[in-house]
Amino acid sequence: MNRNVLFSLVLSTILATGLLLPACKKVEINPYTTEDVNIVGYLAKHPDSFSLFKQILDRTGNSAFLNAYGAYTVFAPTNSGVKSWLAKNNAAAVDAVSMDKLQDLVKFHLLVDTITTGVFKDGKLPVATMLGQYLVTGVGMKNGASSYLINRQAFVTQSNVIVGNGIIHVVDNVLEPSTLTIAKQLEAKPEYSIFVEAMKATGFYDLLNTVDPDTTKRWMSVIAESNRAFADSGITSFDALKAKYSQTGNPASPNDSLYMYMAYHVMTGIKFLGDIITAPAHVTLQPQEVISVQYKNQEVVLNEAEFNGVFEPGIVLNRTGSDNAATNGVWHDAQAHYTLKYRKPTAVFWDVATFPEILKMPTHYKRQNFTWTRQSESDQPLQDIVWGWGALAGTNTMTYYYNSSSSNSITGRGANNFDAIQMPMGLPNRPVWWELTTPPIVKGKYKVWICYVQRKQSSSSNQLCQVSINGDVMANTMNFTLTRPSGTDAELEAIGWKRYTEGTNAVLAGKLVGVYDFKTTQRHTIRFTPLAGTQNDNYLDMIHFIPIDEPQYLPRFTSEGEKIYQ
Amino acid sequence: MKQFFSITVLLTLVLSTTSCKKWLDLKPQDGIVGDEFWQTKEQVEAGIIGIYSSLLSETSGTSIGPVESFFLWGEARADMVVPGFRASAEELDIVNMNIQPNNRYTNWRMLYQTINYCNTLIQLAPGVLQTDNTFTQEQLNRAVAEAKTVRALMYFYLVRTFRDVPLKLNATISDEDIEPIAKSNADAVLTQIITDLKEAEPGLPLSYGNQAADKGRVTRYAANAILADVYLWTEKYAECVAECDKIINSNRFGLIGGGQSIFDELYLQGNSSESIFELQFDVQKLNPFYGMHHPTIRRWGGAPHLMDQVFGPDDPNTLEVEQDLRGLGTSLRGSDFTIWKYIGANNTATSIRSADQSFANWIFYRYADVLLMKAEAINQMDQPLEASRLVKIIRERAEAFDFNSTMDSTSKSGMEEFILQERQREFAFEGKRWYDVLRNAKRNNYQNLQYLLEVTATSIPADRQQAAFNKIRDKNSHYLPIFLYEMQTNKLLVQNPFYK
Repeated sequence: MNRNVLFSLVLSTILATGLLLPACKKVEINPYTTEDVNIVGYLAKHPDSFSLFKQILDRTGNSAFLNAYGAYTVFAPTNSGVKSWLAKNNAAAVDAVSMDKLQDLVKFHLLVDTITTGVFKDGKLPVATMLGQYLVTGVGMKNGASSYLINRQAFVTQSNVIVGNGIIHVVDNVLEPSTLTIAKQLEAKPEYSIFVEAMKATGFYDLLNTVDPDTTKRWMSVIAESNRAFADSGITSFDALKAKYSQTGNPASPNDSLYMYMAYHVMTGIKFLGDIITAPAHVTLQPQEVISVQYKNQEVVLNEAEFNGVFEPGIVLNRTGSDNAATNGVWHDAQAHYTLKYRKPTAVFWDVATFPEILKMPTHYKRQNFTWTRQSESDQPLQDIVWGWGALAGTNTMTYYYNSSSSNSITGRGANNFDAIQMPMGLPNRPVWWELTTPPIVKGKYKVWICYVQRKQSSSSNQLCQVSINGDVMANTMNFTLTRPSGTDAELEAIGWKRYTEGTNAVLAGKLVGVYDFKTTQRHTIRFTPLAGTQNDNYLDMIHFIPIDEPQYLPRFTSEGEKIYQ
Repeated sequence: MKQFFSITVLLTLVLSTTSCKKWLDLKPQDGIVGDEFWQTKEQVEAGIIGIYSSLLSETSGTSIGPVESFFLWGEARADMVVPGFRASAEELDIVNMNIQPNNRYTNWRMLYQTINYCNTLIQLAPGVLQTDNTFTQEQLNRAVAEAKTVRALMYFYLVRTFRDVPLKLNATISDEDIEPIAKSNADAVLTQIITDLKEAEPGLPLSYGNQAADKGRVTRYAANAILADVYLWTEKYAECVAECDKIINSNRFGLIGGGQSIFDELYLQGNSSESIFELQFDVQKLNPFYGMHHPTIRRWGGAPHLMDQVFGPDDPNTLEVEQDLRGLGTSLRGSDFTIWKYIGANNTATSIRSADQSFANWIFYRYADVLLMKAEAINQMDQPLEASRLVKIIRERAEAFDFNSTMDSTSKSGMEEFILQERQREFAFEGKRWYDVLRNAKRNNYQNLQYLLEVTATSIPADRQQAAFNKIRDKNSHYLPIFLYEMQTNKLLVQNPFYK
């Protein structure tokens, strides 16, 4: 009995174990750390949308590398987009399109970087496609909803799909690379016939028709003028244009004004409008000539400036007709005719104490002092006056100084507008240099006069400075602690000094630092670097740039800021 | 002996187990459980204060503190502020109209937390009548009314910022209450806001007996002010005027002026007689503005065009100094465009609050707002002349001067634009600008989209403007996306179609 019980127990245990074992399911262990798919995996997962684009990738042999490790951005066209592209190319299926064309197509949809919509701007993407051409982004409206527009060809219907090896943006159309050069594109448009003829006559056509295999030299940007823009200026044919400009009769000569006109419309580098507006001036192919750029009322305006109180309206770039990408660059459309302008060098009497920031402070401008402090090394409180970081916080400052009291021994002595800027400088603790951006100066040779109010912080103070313009050191130094020597105007000018104010006090001193040949007409930089001594009390009032063949010590300035000629 | 030892050991064991009474007690030792709360009137009062103090919460991780959200939602997309050098990439994205659903500043979590506190009180406070005999019906009504008003204010922020949002009116008390909830239509949310405020109004006191509580808790006037703002948003102008008149005719509020410094009274000290409802920060609970606006570390500063185009430049050739009192030294500091309202320590813009003094209040509504809301409403009711009189009161208090346009009291559209500009000056950096511009732009089925385009033209960098203009033309872009985490956890939510 006992044995039987024991036996049945053992038996049932064995049976039960036997029965249990198959019920014990095998645990599946996922060997992957993520279920994220890669780019091709994503396309394969959504065959309804991307079967055709995947077919193109397979056919061109790109599937393998797009499914491997990497960081790519793909603009994936949907099936309907690919279908309409096939129809446009008279191809029944993907297999019917030539291999070269497909390969270029794929390369144009691929970027070797991860680009989210966050970096999309009005213009080209920061990296080129694998084809070498850039894609242009913008935002467009479709059925009352806005979405990103790529290359003016396709809308983004789903953005920033993050997959294992990059980012996918779904687009509703195929992006087509440009196949023509700038020259050919313009030639194909009859409305640019005069401009194209001028291109051919001056020899620029060949330059703009080549695609340099070296991408550092390939890109060019052209600002084209339509026949209408010419007509608005009274030029109705190429002959009229030639008659107006070509004074040598040979437009292909670099000395011919028509050649210069053309060179002035071409820049090196690929510059979409979004790139053009980010810099104040761009160098053209015409040596030493720049186009200046302003952004006004949402328009890109070229060459608008005020010279000597005369306002010169600028040329607007036509937004919808611009940003045309070609195989070797981009071209834009100017709304009006313009060319380089010969400007006679004109004196600039620059009041450095009138700068945008102080003009915005009605309680201080021409009323009382105000001090700007650099809070940290990354902080530059003023736009056009910057200085090198000084270790001492208390003197890391720029003061707008104003005092009109006759008992004041600084600007009160009769400085222009009774104001000046105070620039502490000198090693070891004060700012190590000061740099100011000038108003636009017409190119030419000028004498540069530093006009300051002399002051010594203590009887032993010294502040010898080197002045440099655009990085070139000027011939003479100047010293904020020296008063103007005595003598007649002629005597003074002979030794490089002048009295620049109506007031005659010797603390009001103009010092000639040398002659500078400005190569371009634009804003320039002037820098003060202390050579010996250090102090806070450097009061800079004005800087005069006077053409070398003009009188140097007149006009003088009153404390109301007016010019007098005596 | 051996037996005795065994018995002793056994007894000790038995005794020691029974003496440990709480052995099986699962209640937390450092908190109060729901069953024990909501028993006395003091606990109801604590619940209300908890609602207000939840609004003072700080930002942590992806949960953005309510005040920081109010500032960012109301200012970042508009033209009054520019990002400082410490602004994060996500903040720059908001400014550039490049908002993605993973941008943490679109996280509404903290507002819904406050809403849940309100819901909890509304649901559980009535039960206290049974457990505490000293708790009167009147006290209950007041408590529920305060909760409903704050809830309405939160939903009003949400509906203006996200348009369609989940409307949750019952409390989430335990994990079992967590359920996915779909978005409600903006109209349904606005209707609920109006219902809540209407129900709350009679229960709210006119005063709590002291100045700080009158400004820091919702009074009946606070409900009136919110309601006026809601009516203005929903284009019900007669109703808006009625609510404004309740506040104006109470004679309990006035404009700070007559030689008193606007900055000192309104912003430096706070809780002024002009104020209707403001959040009470103090030494123990600092505001987030030090880290946002202090010039050495700032993430936000005033826009550079404010002095010459908004408040007006003084003509330096005249002897008399013309200065809008709301500009320099009140709203901002002219030299570096520091936002002065929250960080300044004096009205001459020379001394800045120290980090431990950063407790300027956040003003939801003040009397000037009521006057300008009324002006906006009666102007829409074709009374531009009457509206201009109200605007004039505001302008005279601020010593405002004409510099680029004068008020045209004969034209409705001219007054509409002028009132919008006046609000820009009056409520600079008070988290109202974007909502003001959007409200005026969307009026009469987006009759004036150009208001939004003008703001975009001022604030967005030149190389992104064209894209931004086209985005603004899509009305869905005026509302923020739902934060990615919410989309992942609440499967019933549908993303705003602009953010596909």
